[in-house]
Amino acid sequence: MAEHTVASFDEDLRQISRLINDMGDLAGSMVGGSTRALLESDNALAQRVVSDDAIMDARQRELDDRAITLIAKRQPMADDLRHVVGSIRMAGDLERIGDLAKNIAKRVGSVGVSTAPRDLTHSIDSMAQLVLIQVQGVIQEYTVGDATALAKLRNDDERIDVKYTSVFRELLTYMMEDPRNITACTHLLFCAKNLERIGDHVTNIAENAYYVLTGTQLPANRPKQDETAMSAPAA
Amino acid sequence: MKPMLSTDLNAADTTVEKAKIEVKNLNFYYGQSKALKDINLSLPERSVTAFIGPSGCGKSTLLRVLNRIYELYPKQSAEGQVLLDGKNILDRSQDLNLLRTKIGMVFQKPTPFPMSIYENIAFGVRLYEKISKAEMDSRVESALKRAALWNEVKDKLNASGQSLSGGQQQRLCIARTVAVKPEVILLDEPASALDPLSTAKIEELIDELQADYTIVIVTHNMQQAARVSRQTAFMYLGELVEFDRTEKIFTSPREKRTQDYITGRFG
Repeated sequence: MAEHTVASFDEDLRQISRLINDMGDLAGSMVGGSTRALLESDNALAQRVVSDDAIMDARQRELDDRAITLIAKRQPMADDLRHVVGSIRMAGDLERIGDLAKNIAKRVGSVGVSTAPRDLTHSIDSMAQLVLIQVQGVIQEYTVGDATALAKLRNDDERIDVKYTSVFRELLTYMMEDPRNITACTHLLFCAKNLERIGDHVTNIAENAYYVLTGTQLPANRPKQDETAMSAPAA
Repeated sequence: MKPMLSTDLNAADTTVEKAKIEVKNLNFYYGQSKALKDINLSLPERSVTAFIGPSGCGKSTLLRVLNRIYELYPKQSAEGQVLLDGKNILDRSQDLNLLRTKIGMVFQKPTPFPMSIYENIAFGVRLYEKISKAEMDSRVESALKRAALWNEVKDKLNASGQSLSGGQQQRLCIARTVAVKPEVILLDEPASALDPLSTAKIEELIDELQADYTIVIVTHNMQQAARVSRQTAFMYLGELVEFDRTEKIFTSPREKRTQDYITGRFG
């Protein structure tokens, strides 16, 4: 893309891109850190994730300030306008991903070392891997400008939904097998739900990024296979 | 080069609605130099169309063809067709005075006549119609009201038109245009010499006038084009590069040249 006649306009846009990249990196490290802390009962790591959330919030506020100022000063049009508005929205989703990662980290102490045996957390581990790949991929594809990859990445969220359904059923089974698992499994269930929500935010980011790059919206409907509502036992 | 028309979205604007003006294969020459190159576009009735583009792109020339005002100058000529309600106005048999009552024009600099506010409006009406004093009074009042100027001048209708502020003078010119009951109003940079408040009043006026008139506006101010128009034509070096719904042009234009121009990356 050619440079603007007003060079400082390019610099303003670059600052916004830099913040989105920073927030994307931070979101990846928070999601990775919180699940590792959960699986390894690492309280120190969990604490770091919790404190990283403050940094995430600060970045989002900075991005908002810069974007609002840029709109007021430059009245961006076309791809510039999409870039600025899309960045505001993507930053909102990244900030929420930070919150959800923090929620997972805060449960690390509650799940506890002794009550979170390896076999209970195994399926969460593989779900977390899927989520992490999505979080890291979405900003990367946006940065290189690959709209096709973003459309695919958005559809890949379905795999997380399917995984979530199976984690839900599995944890339910553990709880029925042995009531002593209930506390740990309930916490893990919330963690799984948080991971699933992170996947949804990644989907939003992919949709926004696609619009920023192409100027067209992805079709509204995406296959959904989260069946936990259906399979929850009648109380 | 043919203009790019979006097939899905633009169709709603230009094919469903009746076209007031259709420009077909229009070429325009200043002497030997070709200023407009094979222009084709259709302006829907009772709607605002904006022409944008860098200086010298042909947007004002195109506007000047629409009421044949270019004929005031020697060595300027147009080829092709400009259909007003299906009738070619470039035809030699076209009555120019009649044409200009149907297609009014307002220029960049306000051009009030050196006469009273009342006479500024009555003068044009008298050229085409014989009406009583009472009818003229009511015509002047309704034109000034239409141009959102009545409240500011109703107590000084005999004051000189040139005593008004720039923004008021421009609205007086719009009132003068409206008074002869045109069907189309051409606006050539109508607010470029005005302060923001007067500009806002002109824009509000354009918004109201489109209920009754087909409006074409040439503007250098892209935000203004985005605010007031329903469809926008981007011109460059005498070509119509892109013509589409205004939202489309300013959020995701098809052509790279349009994108570069409206985002400030040109040249």
